[in-house]
Amino acid sequence: MKQIENIPDCGILLFKSCLVSVEYPGIESSTTYVFDKLGIDYLVSDEQSCCTGLGYYFDLFDQMSTTAVAARNFAIARKNGYNNITPMCSTCYAINKEACALLNSNDEVRSNINSVFKQAGLDDLIYEQNSLDEVDNFYHVVELFLSKAKQIGKLNTIDFSGVRVAAHHACHYYKIQSDDMIGNPNHPLLIDTIAKSCGADVVEWYEDKTLTCGAGFSQIHVNRDLSLKVTHAKLESLKEAGVELVLHMCPNCQIQYDRYQPVIEKEYGTKYDFVHMNIGQFVALALGADPEKVCGFQTHSVPLDGFLERIGVSF
Amino acid sequence: MTYVISETLSEYDTPICDTLAETVKKSLRTSDTIGIDRCLQCGACTSSCPAARFTDYNPRTMIKRVMENDMSVIEDETIWNCFYCYTCHLRCPRNNSPTQVVQVLRQMAINKGIGLDRLKVLLEYGDTFAELGVSKIPDLYVGQMEDDFDRRWHEFKNNLDAVRSELGLGPVAVRDSGRGEIRAILEGIGLFERQEKLKQMVESESDTVDKKGQITDEAN
Amino acid sequence: MNHSNDHVGVFICHCGGNISDIIDIRSVKQEIRSDNISTFDCEYLCSNVGQDLIKTSIYKHSLDKVIIGACTPAKHEKLFKKCVEDAQLNASMLEIANLREQCSWVHPNNLATTNKAISLLNGKIKRIQTALPLIPIQIPINPNAMVIGGGIAGINSALNLANNGIHTYLIEKEVTIGGNAAKIGKMFSPEKLAEECSMCSLSPLMNEVGSHPNITLLTYSEVENVNGSAGDFKVTIRKKPRYVKDNCMACGRCSKVCPTYVENDYNCGVKDKKAISMRFAQSVPQVYSIDPDHCIELTGGECGKCRDVCKVDAIDFEQKDEMIELDVGAIVVATGFDEYDASRKPQYGYGIFENVVTQMELARILGVNGPTLGKFARPSDNSMPHNIVMIQCVGSRDEGKSGNKYCSRYCCMAALKHASLIAKKYPDANVTICYIDIRAFGLYENYYRAVQDMGISFVRGRPAEVVQKANHNLVVKIEDTLTQELKEIPADMVVLSSAMEASSGTKQVANILNITLSEDGFVKEKHSKLKPVDTSRDGIFVCGTAQSPKDVTDTIAQSGLAAARTSAFISDKVIRRDPQIAQIERSLCNNCDECLKCPFEAISKDKIGNVDINPLVCNGCGYCTKLCSKGAISIAGYKEEQIMAEIDGVIEKGDVLAFLSREIPYATADNIGNSVAEYPANVKIVQVPTTTIITKAMIEHAFKRGSQAVLLVEEPTDNPVGSFIYPLALENFEQLKGELGKKGARLHFKKAYIPHYRGLAETFISLAQMEDIE
Repeated sequence: MKQIENIPDCGILLFKSCLVSVEYPGIESSTTYVFDKLGIDYLVSDEQSCCTGLGYYFDLFDQMSTTAVAARNFAIARKNGYNNITPMCSTCYAINKEACALLNSNDEVRSNINSVFKQAGLDDLIYEQNSLDEVDNFYHVVELFLSKAKQIGKLNTIDFSGVRVAAHHACHYYKIQSDDMIGNPNHPLLIDTIAKSCGADVVEWYEDKTLTCGAGFSQIHVNRDLSLKVTHAKLESLKEAGVELVLHMCPNCQIQYDRYQPVIEKEYGTKYDFVHMNIGQFVALALGADPEKVCGFQTHSVPLDGFLERIGVSF
Repeated sequence: MTYVISETLSEYDTPICDTLAETVKKSLRTSDTIGIDRCLQCGACTSSCPAARFTDYNPRTMIKRVMENDMSVIEDETIWNCFYCYTCHLRCPRNNSPTQVVQVLRQMAINKGIGLDRLKVLLEYGDTFAELGVSKIPDLYVGQMEDDFDRRWHEFKNNLDAVRSELGLGPVAVRDSGRGEIRAILEGIGLFERQEKLKQMVESESDTVDKKGQITDEAN
Repeated sequence: MNHSNDHVGVFICHCGGNISDIIDIRSVKQEIRSDNISTFDCEYLCSNVGQDLIKTSIYKHSLDKVIIGACTPAKHEKLFKKCVEDAQLNASMLEIANLREQCSWVHPNNLATTNKAISLLNGKIKRIQTALPLIPIQIPINPNAMVIGGGIAGINSALNLANNGIHTYLIEKEVTIGGNAAKIGKMFSPEKLAEECSMCSLSPLMNEVGSHPNITLLTYSEVENVNGSAGDFKVTIRKKPRYVKDNCMACGRCSKVCPTYVENDYNCGVKDKKAISMRFAQSVPQVYSIDPDHCIELTGGECGKCRDVCKVDAIDFEQKDEMIELDVGAIVVATGFDEYDASRKPQYGYGIFENVVTQMELARILGVNGPTLGKFARPSDNSMPHNIVMIQCVGSRDEGKSGNKYCSRYCCMAALKHASLIAKKYPDANVTICYIDIRAFGLYENYYRAVQDMGISFVRGRPAEVVQKANHNLVVKIEDTLTQELKEIPADMVVLSSAMEASSGTKQVANILNITLSEDGFVKEKHSKLKPVDTSRDGIFVCGTAQSPKDVTDTIAQSGLAAARTSAFISDKVIRRDPQIAQIERSLCNNCDECLKCPFEAISKDKIGNVDINPLVCNGCGYCTKLCSKGAISIAGYKEEQIMAEIDGVIEKGDVLAFLSREIPYATADNIGNSVAEYPANVKIVQVPTTTIITKAMIEHAFKRGSQAVLLVEEPTDNPVGSFIYPLALENFEQLKGELGKKGARLHFKKAYIPHYRGLAETFISLAQMEDIE
């Protein structure tokens, strides 16, 4: 089981995410901002590819192809000596962790992929069994923040007291490999703990706390009405809990809440008074980052102007 | 039963076995320790399932049909309602995983030519991925997003590169080492061969899909 | 040592024709009779006439040693040993040749069979010439017993032992005995279909414990350390200070004046108890105690009100921990269970929503001496709940990290009991039980049916979540799997049937006693069917929920059994062990420590560095004899020279020699006889402790005597000895095969199972029929 005291702060490969890159690039710049402030030793590699998670959960990519792409990214991590794969996206986290477990435990998968590397003249990508450990080398950025929650609290520059915050922990972080999450997977509290360390008034339990955001990968595109029903249910429960700020740890969920909140307001004839942020954006803001030039809040669909003003940040 | 696609690659996600349960257990998509044989039919999956809450999908009965080797479950449209949220996987007291099972069933459906209308819009995904090293939401879906989202989003999307550079971020695409690594890997694994087959199947299908890619008869 | 001048008596049994119809006893007698060998025969040696013949012959003919040719030693060895002992001979001066199961019952009536009988007797005659008298191992047993844990299991065990005349120490870590049974309020009766007052049954037993002349009750005490072994345990007890002396009259004045209220864990943590209190009115002993964490005086303040009002001067703020040393012969572990922490399933809201409680808490709420004084009220607002939903299997039948794989056994009946209590007293209330399977085994089904008739709702399914709506009202989300409907059941109160888990005390005590736990954390019994209350260590027994989840009925039954086993153990007064175990000749030992590899951990070094063999642990398997390069260790009764002598007598040219380990393999060979199967008479069996003692010299000796093949038959791996020995025996076999070179081809190895006697017979047949390859 993962222990909070064993979370590393060096050798971190900050694993880039396709949806962060094109939808909320501020998550990445916020995360590196926080890492720099906290003195975390990390690398962002322009050779690293996306994890294929979208293709995989769109039912297009197969397990072997996804695992092969993961093996290539693991080689980049090893080559650079940054072996702790740490995504900002929960699906990247789960996909990579699962791929590593398969490469370690399934000889057929490993030899199949290695022979493809050899045939393509890419011998430097060959994966040696157990060269990465599926438990000890895979983290989500939120876990790093959690391990530094005290330090974050000390460096915090904003008075969050009285700000009603709720967290949406991403399903693929805590439900897939639930034994390896920090805390109880039926009541995740990682984001809550970080927000509390900054003095926020955290709503730890609300109805449907563990309900999916509703994106469902292809569901939002193919089964749009169903997808929005789920998101609507969750937004209603957040409204019931009277929150002002919802914190996220996955770009896919953030799209579903931030981008579709105005859509749901229109289609369901309702109104929500809360805004959305990624935990990286929240911590960066707390540590004094510029809301536009670092956090990239201008890319959000639910405007944060009012909220930022309320907490005394000019935007 | 015979599969339309039976090339090597699908052998890993949907190995041909005597029973559905065997296929599920042997599939690379499911955990080695999956407890499908130990299912108690307790319904913890269904009562936890967002799809079951709003549609006729029932992960418990889906598992029962797989255990009973009821092949018609592959053609059941409700299996396409699963969100892959893994709540059933988390809550199952027997280490079973309906969401992993349904992934295998969907792959078997695709092999039979079911659900191709969904995949149709995705067929360029592999090529884009090979080219850029990033996943890209298919154009058809982007069209829906364009309709749904307001001015703020359009502005941002139109200025993505500028926004990124203001945030100190580099290009989105992977730096090409000159070796065409990702394409070579996917080629070697057989992804393109499989995609080509899927394309052929899509082309020979005459049924139509509405413009937004919706499967209209089961969205509610 | 040569004892060839000793006078040997050979007694042959006809077994009413079972032996004498096949074997020509007259010619056998003729063949083996000599100057110092007298022969006798009898219709039934096991009869009184036969026994008398043996005893009187020993006196009359001044016999030094006795050979009996009769049925398998498994049958009457003890009887015949007693005969020779009655006649003042040492029991090791007796050898039995198996002339029935391994001769007359497996071979036809012909000369070869009679010749085999002669050779079997000759083997024993030669072997007994080398025999030395062995002194039986006897260790005295301390007559006191200790029971750890004063719940209903410990109480019942202690009373059974005490009533059996055994002085018993009962150790309880709380201030009173009673345990969880004192909390549950009501017990159900499957015959009367009614609920009965639990305290009314328990309290008299508790009082009996308190006043029993054979019981020394040590409450507020914990076992600190245990040394020694079965029959002779040295126990250290830590008795914690109550700050109230035993002369307390339990008048209660102190509690009245105490200004400090503390959480009452007896009543689900409600703050209704004073810092000086009794746990409950029926506590035994009737002595108050002070909570040192909350008492003003003991936390450095000034108060002393209790001291001022006490009329018997019982308050003593100066009390300290007291260490008590006890000597006991046997121990009963009755350390009970802990209730599963339901907050590990946050989806059910325990610890988050006030109106989610456990069955144990509901028991307290329904109890007249509970936090609400018998008023059925929910915690949030003290109002009476009308809709009560119970959730079964919370933490049970759950493979996940936050659950337990096993069924907790008690919870279905506890839910039915509480549903019945509520339905009878509050007819307006609606009780719903969410279940996966209702396990009302045996006669409990009658009670289940009666509760069904009361109109309780049953919904089959494991709920997903409990959510809280306005006014602390709850909703249980569930799929009714029988109708496939997703339901949201409204509830004023949700009751979780929390699993039973091994108590922290069980783990702590098991660690101190060095007894094995199961993977679920309960004390593991030696055999689930045949030895359900024996632990992995002799002299230590277990009962109640320390051993596995169970209800009161089963706990009472099992604790009675544990007392009976303990009583039987202590009543023996001495532990007798077969003398045929490892013995060391210290003068030959070079302290190479190889023998410490004993797989049963019977061999260790004593304080001055000498090799020490524990006679209670050693089973005489003989593995150590192979580890010792100096020949310093041997198995009494199975020294190499004794086995060589038997081979000398038994083996003739063309014979197959089968060395059979003494438990399963030897019994399997007997079973061939019992089952009227056959094999050739040139197969000769020599019993050994295990085949690990077989040496190259023994096999070469057999070959020299003309044996065409040698077979080693070992205990199977599912036998307690075989599970350790089989792989070592196989290793020994392979090594011997290698050392024998070409001749190794004539050495064979096999394991045996009693029901699979045919397999062994077939091996005998095929080896006997093999051409002599030399």
